[in-house]
Amino acid sequence: MITQQIFNGLALGMGYALIAVGYSLIFGILRLVNFSHGSVYAFGAQMAMIFIGLRFGIIPGLIASMLLTGVLGVTIDKLALEPLRKKKSIPIASLITTIGISNIVTNLLIVFFGSEKRAFPALFDFGTLQFGSIVISATQIGMCAVSLVLMLVLVGIVFYTKIGLAMRAAQQNPVAANLMGINVNFVVSFTFFLSGISAAIAGSLVGSYYQIVYPNMGFMAGLKAFAAAVLGGIGSLPGAIIGGLIVGVSESMAATVLGSTYRDSMAFIILLIVLIVRPNGLFGKKGITKV
Amino acid sequence: MKKGVVRYSLAMMILAGTLAGCSQGNGQGTGDMQNTSGTQGGTSAQSGEGTIKIAVAAPMTGDNSEYGIGFSNAAKLMADQWNAQGGVLGKQIKIVPYDDKNTSEEATTIAQKIVSDGDISGVIGHFSSGVCMTAAPIYEENKIIEISPSASHPDYSKIGSYIYRNNTIISKEGAAALDIAVNDLGKHNIGIISIMTDWGTNTSGIIKDQIAALNDPNVKVVAHEEVMEGSDDYTPAITKLNQAGADVVICAGMYNLVAPVAKQYKNINPDIAIVGFSNAYSQQLIQLGGEAVEGVCFPVVFFSESDNPDVKEYVDTFTQTYGSAPSALTSQAYDSVGVLLTALKEAGTTDSEAVSEKLNTISYEGVTGNIKFDEQGDVDKQFNKVTIEDGKFVKMN
Repeated sequence: MITQQIFNGLALGMGYALIAVGYSLIFGILRLVNFSHGSVYAFGAQMAMIFIGLRFGIIPGLIASMLLTGVLGVTIDKLALEPLRKKKSIPIASLITTIGISNIVTNLLIVFFGSEKRAFPALFDFGTLQFGSIVISATQIGMCAVSLVLMLVLVGIVFYTKIGLAMRAAQQNPVAANLMGINVNFVVSFTFFLSGISAAIAGSLVGSYYQIVYPNMGFMAGLKAFAAAVLGGIGSLPGAIIGGLIVGVSESMAATVLGSTYRDSMAFIILLIVLIVRPNGLFGKKGITKV
Repeated sequence: MKKGVVRYSLAMMILAGTLAGCSQGNGQGTGDMQNTSGTQGGTSAQSGEGTIKIAVAAPMTGDNSEYGIGFSNAAKLMADQWNAQGGVLGKQIKIVPYDDKNTSEEATTIAQKIVSDGDISGVIGHFSSGVCMTAAPIYEENKIIEISPSASHPDYSKIGSYIYRNNTIISKEGAAALDIAVNDLGKHNIGIISIMTDWGTNTSGIIKDQIAALNDPNVKVVAHEEVMEGSDDYTPAITKLNQAGADVVICAGMYNLVAPVAKQYKNINPDIAIVGFSNAYSQQLIQLGGEAVEGVCFPVVFFSESDNPDVKEYVDTFTQTYGSAPSALTSQAYDSVGVLLTALKEAGTTDSEAVSEKLNTISYEGVTGNIKFDEQGDVDKQFNKVTIEDGKFVKMN
């Protein structure tokens, strides 16, 4: 039973990893924890459900929802965060704004779509594999594969393309980047667009795994993914995946050993321990502030 | 100077918003300076001399909003039908919705609002047992009649003589569910999965007591897992139940528990039998559960596919007006309004004592069966046993 629980935990953890990647992406470029990511993830899942339901086909539906969620990310940046950057406000103002945006997006979803849970089609309906007493479903394998591919694509973009270079430059010193001819606002919007796309992918995969979407699905999952991102080292993309897996497995173990009522607290206990013992997480780098 | 103006006007807006929230707006809490006549067309501040007002207090927003909106829709349907025939006591009936967000704090505020309004003839609400039991003492003290379509905790109606419920007490429903599991499905190793709420904990306790009372050495509870309401992933609890050897699982939760549990359980054990309670009986269960909920059984008092012509007509009208079939709890709200209006008519007055007297003796034929309140304020209903076959609810044979 323990091995089955570990596998359950790994599958759960992959879901958190997908969301944590979005946190790490924004933090890595903007040094901002984007608490609205959970609600954008819920938005992405809802949109995917609607577009697939319109029967355009699964792939076009997913692409449409990814683009739309990317646009939502850019809108959040343009409407709420760019004015704060222009005024050179203190960083915590942006953080609080993202918390507010999270509430707004979730409640708009509830207003327009109702708070009920809705069925999401299974995207990887290929059955299950049996290894001895362990059952692995095709969806779990699919989630694993897609997360790895997504992480590789994002790492590729950030470290091996011109726009990625611009993103890293804007993170190190926005003024100097501007002087070098980089349009920092465009780069930031592009980062939010990427994060929105990754949120939509995460939403579609997790939605298809549990086959349920509802507007509030981003709340708990977003917070736990934040804990996972911090554990892995916020800002580090591979760290987000590892952090997600560890949080998922610990949650599954906590549910087995202590009972299902303790599972939610596990992610936050991990967050507290990480912040006390090793605030940079497993793969995070110590930030050096140059004077 | 400019900064001062901005700060001053911001402060004034916040003050205005707070004051508007305190005034007698409708339950949506829109916080507008004018008394907005909320989305469902019920204003509570002004009462025309010619209207009878019935409040519906239930969660209109948040995770359980579908139930509150369902109650409100059912109430309006009943009110419209009566209004078309002249209303009651010569006056038109107005349904006033209040949003209690399914929390005790909000429910207390709403109860205070309702009793201080002075013009409300009765309250249909609230939704969950814990919330109902917080608000009921306020209604009882102020002699406002409360009929809950969904409270199932045994202690609810004991709170007073103005407190009624049009829902089965969980002990009777538990016995019916157990009957399905043991006698109709023939299973003995019973696993229980319940949500961590007043209702869930109470229900699972009652089931366990009833199993012990059966005094049958073959029938036993092999595992009991408590889960948080609203999580989507029940695999750890399910793995534990499966390991313990359960061949039937009694789900003490609403459809948002039964559907995922059915899916996730059938992934590891396709032969598991699942028994639920009447609050899982809704079209959403089939939509959410798909193939996995085939064969799930529950005891219900309201069966939308019933052959009874009154029930058929009600289901058709409801579906036409609101676009979806009514669920068991919605229909109990519908009947609650009906019985209240009938009692008002027979008492000839809106005076709560007289109406309450009538409620104690009245016998009302509703879509959820015959309603006759006993001394506690509870009703006794017959259960239909229902299961899901080919994506539809059918009677078990």
